[in-house]
Amino acid sequence: MGSWKYLWQFTKSSIIGGVIGLTISDRYLTITPVRGISMHPTFANSHTNFPGSLKGDIVVVEKFCLDKYSFSHGDVVVFKLPSDHKKQYVKRIIGLPGEWIQVPQSSEVIKVPLGHCWVEGDNSDWSLDSRSFGPIPLGLIGGRATFIIWPPQRISKVESKIPEGRVASHHISLQ
Amino acid sequence: MMPTINPSGELVLLDLVTHRRGKVRVGDIVIVRSPEKPTKVVAKRVLGLEGDSVSFLTQPAISTEIETVVVPKGHVWVQGDNIYDSRDSRTFGPVPYGLINGRVLLRVWPPERCGFIEHNVPLQQVASGEMEQNAISD
Repeated sequence: MGSWKYLWQFTKSSIIGGVIGLTISDRYLTITPVRGISMHPTFANSHTNFPGSLKGDIVVVEKFCLDKYSFSHGDVVVFKLPSDHKKQYVKRIIGLPGEWIQVPQSSEVIKVPLGHCWVEGDNSDWSLDSRSFGPIPLGLIGGRATFIIWPPQRISKVESKIPEGRVASHHISLQ
Repeated sequence: MMPTINPSGELVLLDLVTHRRGKVRVGDIVIVRSPEKPTKVVAKRVLGLEGDSVSFLTQPAISTEIETVVVPKGHVWVQGDNIYDSRDSRTFGPVPYGLINGRVLLRVWPPERCGFIEHNVPLQQVASGEMEQNAISD
């Protein structure tokens, strides 16, 4: 009967481990793959097409920031697309609520509404972001990308920086 | 959300599966993360899914002016049941489906009001034109 006892122990610990894991993944930390070239060079898009090979980077997403929805400029966030809740995008926060943002490639200056933020990809030529769908509600944000953990040669922290060429918002409001 | 949910507060049971499967229907009461203030969640009734056209009274207390909007892709139209005192899609527009956090299933407290939440759209809203058709056809 020793093997049954062992099996029961194993099942029990797997269930407990699963529940703890899901809770952590739901509330605190999770990992997610990033595909596509919109965030190049922050996240790489590998061009290997071997079956089974992992395309793109795998990043750690922390969810502590969702406690108070406190974000700062330059944070890389994961969010659900406003027009399709099944798609998750990863972009950089450029503007926070109440700030004035100059829309690139146009002279338009808009104010980010309360509870929203303005997100853009680092690779502005190949990015579908707030320039096409406008500011997104902060509530759609699912977490902040903090570390790249895969592939091994790219293990690093995701830097929070404002891309060059984007004027800080308060300068615009003075004009 | 009066009269469906009392202002003194009620405990409700949430269903966290339906919205993930994308099965939210018109008439459901959902918990939505407020687009204006993300730390706040509000309970509102879904009155239109993507592609639906929704009519509503702009200022129900003082005029009968009706406005009609088409809900954009991936969004829902949510409104409080108490149309005279509710901040909802009439003020902040349609909300992205992704902001829905759950569907209200049962009222569990106070015990005398325990039971399923009414699924129908309350009468006071049906009074506004096309919404009547939406509510009945669904």
